[in-house]
Amino acid sequence: MDGTDLELRRRTYGFFVENGWAPSAAELGDRDSVLAGWRRLHAEHAVVLNADSDELRMLNPFSVVPTAYRVQAGGRWWYGNCAWDAFGICAALHEDGRIATSCPDCGEPLTVEVRDGRPDDESLLFHCLVPAAQWWDDIVFT
Amino acid sequence: MNLFRSEEHIARWLGGRDPGATISVTKLSELANAWWDDRLAADWVPHTREQNMAILERLGLTSEFWRLP
Repeated sequence: MDGTDLELRRRTYGFFVENGWAPSAAELGDRDSVLAGWRRLHAEHAVVLNADSDELRMLNPFSVVPTAYRVQAGGRWWYGNCAWDAFGICAALHEDGRIATSCPDCGEPLTVEVRDGRPDDESLLFHCLVPAAQWWDDIVFT
Repeated sequence: MNLFRSEEHIARWLGGRDPGATISVTKLSELANAWWDDRLAADWVPHTREQNMAILERLGLTSEFWRLP
């Protein structure tokens, strides 16, 4: 990953965090150049593009599309790609926050307050179904 | 990668599938802090596999399940 792609990644994340939505390629510069850069960053797992388009899907730990993991932090609501990423949003923003989701089994709402990086309800459990060696085989499923 | 009320809820959700790994939400928060803390830093560069493995090992996540490719 060269300096040009790192700079594109920095501007992509910066736009997203400032505005709360993901930029189109044209909003960051020459469309074709930006798309080519995003594709290289996707190949390096530094951003995730939609499988059937060149739109951004994930700016990990943030999800660009709605998910079951909503996070209130830094004065805005975000979506995390999963429970790990939901905590990751607070960590990346260096903000306290609130994670709102539901138990995948029973559907009961679950709300976790995150203060100084720690959850207020320590009784909950995190289950990871896919082994680490396979996480990027299908990152959306993971 | 989901949050659950209890082991009972995880087992019911799995519905006979092989389980993955379960850790406490406290451990998860420690993992997230170490993994994502620098993600918005202006001088961010990708973590190496060795850096990420060191995070997992420091938190005691040393089983084969957590071994990165």
